Amino acid sequence: MNGWILTATVALGAGVGATVWGVATGPLRRRVVAQNMSSAVACPGLLLLSQGFGRPAYLDLALLLALLGPAGTLVFARLLSDDLAADPPHARGVTLAVAGYGAVVVLVLCAVTGPGRTMAKLLLIGALLIGGNLVASRALSGGFAASRRG
Amino acid sequence: MDEPLIVVVLLLVAVSATAAVAVRDPVHQALVLAVLGVALALLFTVLQAPDVGLSQLAVGSVLTPLLLMLSVHRVRRREKGRKGKAR
Amino acid sequence: MTRGARLIVLALGGAGLAALLVAACLDLPGFGGTWHPYGDRAVEASLSRRTANTIASVNFDQRAFDTLGEMSILFASVVGTVVLLRQTRDEKRGKPEPEEVALPVRRYALIVLPVAVLSGLYVIAHGQLSPGGGFQGGVVAATALHLLYLGADYRALERVRPVGLFEVGDALAASAYVVTGLAAVLGGTAFLANTLLPYGTFNTLASGGTVPLLNAAIGMEVACAVVVLLARFLDQAVEIEEENGKR
Repeated sequence: MNGWILTATVALGAGVGATVWGVATGPLRRRVVAQNMSSAVACPGLLLLSQGFGRPAYLDLALLLALLGPAGTLVFARLLSDDLAADPPHARGVTLAVAGYGAVVVLVLCAVTGPGRTMAKLLLIGALLIGGNLVASRALSGGFAASRRG
Repeated sequence: MDEPLIVVVLLLVAVSATAAVAVRDPVHQALVLAVLGVALALLFTVLQAPDVGLSQLAVGSVLTPLLLMLSVHRVRRREKGRKGKAR
Repeated sequence: MTRGARLIVLALGGAGLAALLVAACLDLPGFGGTWHPYGDRAVEASLSRRTANTIASVNFDQRAFDTLGEMSILFASVVGTVVLLRQTRDEKRGKPEPEEVALPVRRYALIVLPVAVLSGLYVIAHGQLSPGGGFQGGVVAATALHLLYLGADYRALERVRPVGLFEVGDALAASAYVVTGLAAVLGGTAFLANTLLPYGTFNTLASGGTVPLLNAAIGMEVACAVVVLLARFLDQAVEIEEENGKR
């Protein structure tokens, strides 16, 4: 066990643990935010694991999660827009904190790996992850006008 | 070697899977299922099975929630139609 | 059969399964040990055919026949969905109204859509080199298309997704897999045996003999199958209405 894996263990245990609790209890507005946060917390965890195991190929998992995690949240934002418009979630603090955590992990890993293909991939994952989660968060709090849909 | 990590991720999977069964509302179940998918992908990665982890991510993060939510949407729309509440 | 008799049959079956599972568990090697008889042989076979990702070698070479079975399951279930979720006589097609999507969400969907499709193709193409493969990449590429529904509206998706073409693609890809297998028979070896093509250079895109071909066939089959599957679900959820029901 090295420092990367230790950090990943703590971050995943606390972060994903909190989102599991958040998604299983409480009103809908809290559950959707927790679902969004689950991918935002797990993706940096996957980056840390890839570094800790010494397997750059595992970055593909983080790449797919950064792409598909926010898209999964958009599914809920789109198809629950009526319910969410009646009771919109406000989670600016949490979203920004988790985005900051993702940015720190990406920057630290970039500093460790040095310039090259891996660094480009890390930066792409970071951009997709942070952008995706900010947009998904925006979509949850009124991204879809709950208009005339039945 | 990485026993604490394996134990933590196994616990995450066990708790979220139990929650997915214990929650009754289909919408809430779909949400818990999405989180369970992420936890399972983490478990597969930790156990050095990235191929399975990728499959889990691909299916669990968008496809399953989308199929479930479309079904819920359809049922809700039909109920509204039955009640005759024209919108 | 009465309720009591059914319960007895269930209990017998359950007890038998439990006994077999316990017996199997007692013989398992310990968790995380160093003795992997199957793994060692699979890695050896994979390296001898210059396939860098052993999992791809197992899926598309050593156990390619199993993958054919799995592909048929997906194919059959999609055919079943198409039959079950068709538009019946007492249903009509309504026009879904366009959704008002906030600008950042719409922009995000349009920017990420090509990136996600490319990532899906990348995961398929590198199936025999790094984690991933036809199934994973196919699902990603197919779901990526639906960002158009999530971030724009349903009619935008319909324009880029002629379902008929994807149905044809699904069938073509499934038959391409079988044809590759039959080609090996014509070449004088067994069905789906990896003997047709040169094995190439280790860890390059064209390595592994027929592995990349079968991998690509699975990728196309899965991508088309998922698009067709989601199209049926979307039709039901968004377009098809009962004749008497008003929205």
